[in-house]
Amino acid sequence: MDIFSIDELRKTFTNGDMKEEILKGINLTLKEGEITALVGPSGSGKSTLLTIAAGLQPASDGKVLFNDINITSMTSEQVRDIRAKQFGFVFQFAHLVPFLTVWEQLSLMLDVSEVKINNEKREQEIDYILDRVGLSNRKHAYPSSLSGGEKQRVAIARAVIHKPKVLFADEPTASLDTKKSKEIMSLIQDLTKTLNITTLMVTHDEEMLSYVDHVVRMSDGRVV
Amino acid sequence: MSIAWKEIKKNKVRFSILGSIIFLVSLLTFIISGLANGLSQDNAALIKNLPSGHFYMNEDAEENYNLSRIDGSIREQILHDQKDAVAFSIQMGFLNDESDKQRSVAFVTSTNSKWFEQVAPGEIILDRSLEKEGMKVGDTLTHKQYKSSFVVKKFVDQKKFSHAPVAYINKESYNEIYRVEEMQLLFTPGEDSTQNIKGLQSFSNKDFLNTIPSYSAEQMSLNMIVWFLIVISGMLFGIFFYMMNVQKIGLYGILKAIGVKTSDLFKMMWTQMLFITILSLTLSVGSSQLFNKVAPEDMPYHLTNETTLQLSIVFLVIGFIGATLSGLQIKKVEPLQAIQQGEV
Ligand SMILES: Nc1ncnc2c1ncn2[C@@H]1O[C@H](COP(=O)(O)OP(=O)(O)OP(=O)(O)O)[C@@H](O)[C@H]1O
Ligand SMILES: [Mg+2]
Repeated sequence: MDIFSIDELRKTFTNGDMKEEILKGINLTLKEGEITALVGPSGSGKSTLLTIAAGLQPASDGKVLFNDINITSMTSEQVRDIRAKQFGFVFQFAHLVPFLTVWEQLSLMLDVSEVKINNEKREQEIDYILDRVGLSNRKHAYPSSLSGGEKQRVAIARAVIHKPKVLFADEPTASLDTKKSKEIMSLIQDLTKTLNITTLMVTHDEEMLSYVDHVVRMSDGRVV
Repeated sequence: MSIAWKEIKKNKVRFSILGSIIFLVSLLTFIISGLANGLSQDNAALIKNLPSGHFYMNEDAEENYNLSRIDGSIREQILHDQKDAVAFSIQMGFLNDESDKQRSVAFVTSTNSKWFEQVAPGEIILDRSLEKEGMKVGDTLTHKQYKSSFVVKKFVDQKKFSHAPVAYINKESYNEIYRVEEMQLLFTPGEDSTQNIKGLQSFSNKDFLNTIPSYSAEQMSLNMIVWFLIVISGMLFGIFFYMMNVQKIGLYGILKAIGVKTSDLFKMMWTQMLFITILSLTLSVGSSQLFNKVAPEDMPYHLTNETTLQLSIVFLVIGFIGATLSGLQIKKVEPLQAIQQGEV
């Protein structure tokens, strides 16, 4: 059994009477605990594939199997429950909650994923992750006072604090310079390995591919 | 961890503005309904302070108590059949005091009853407001149509009719002044259903109050203002939360993406709405009580705890509806929208 696989996935967008097939039968398997990167030209369907795989939008046809359960045929509440407990998300921008401190962002994620832990354990877990992303000294800071790189590190901490099975990352380094990008990539690599998280990420930047285990190239809605 | 509370803490100014508007609007509402109630006491305390029951007047009177004459045999029968029933008459008129100054009063006479003062011929019992105007027990008052004079026996509280102080006189004196044998009105206390009495029209306490000229006009306009204010405050809630929600569409999207339930987003909004409303209402209830104390003596202001409670509940319900309607957009937010929109 594979932890995560995609089977003959298709996606068609309708604009007026225009129908456009963006994903034309994608097959893909993620290896447990490893990072798979999607690369390809702009408009080739990478983000569409990632968001369907993550249960953020429906597929037109085909299957997305997580632990052998097809999430494309689930109700939106069932998918939400999986997103909250089993998936983690990092996007191009950090998308932090503006009125919560770093510490509170992570605590919120623990609540959302309904992890049952006492306060002492909660403190420990959050402190541990903050230490790992190098933000122990900023735990009471609000997002507005963090730099872009720091925000992205908080976003990564939030994406893994509840120990998800799968991490989805769409161009997590696109808004950062090369040096910061490398730091973020090695952080993702480091965290997903120690926490045994399976990762699917999209990137434009060939330089980042040295941090991943597998590269899947896409072009015009197909894996090439 | 309550993120609703954290947002308020981080955005104190924004929430204080909403809070202070709700405070002002609700305070104004409390004061105006205090005035409405005070005016209605000032207008018709005599009737308002009767227990709930039924009033009867002649059908031919066309809802004008002045024109009503209740047939003596019907009166005797009802007074006999029904415990605590009372027949009474009211006429507006004038009394001349010792310095021959004219005072407008409402003359009232009645059959034996615990709710109406009983006086001997030549005696008179007056509403307390006349004592405040300088009358004393023992004063002699005169009336053009009354041969002898009235001696003031005592003063009683809260007896007003059609904004005039009530003057209780004996039936004989009343007959001498107004030259009528029949009583105008019958009152039977008790919640039980109306009896059908031939030739008589029945009124609930409220319906009877509305037959008093000026009473319904006064109350209607004040109550209309109160309801306007309540509707306005509902709209304020709606607009405020709508604007806040529009600003937070991106945030809601991202929260939904990471798995926050839509119902939790609604709970967050409701918590904030309740917190702001309860705080503002507490302040305005306190201020309206204070106003009760400092309001000028002759200002008819009377705000009961019951009215305060009722209005507070209405405010909470209206705030809830306003916030919820404007929050329906939260339901429509797609997680993807936010992610594609870029930085929050
Ligand atoms: N909601 C939508 N409705 C219609 N067309 C869409 C929608 N979302 C994406 N598309 C189209 O699907 C195609 C693939 O988009 P997608 O975002 O997956 O590309 P991408 O590979 O991520 O590109 P980039 O590298 O620029 O991010 C594009 O042509 C885009 O216009
Ligand atoms: Mg993309």
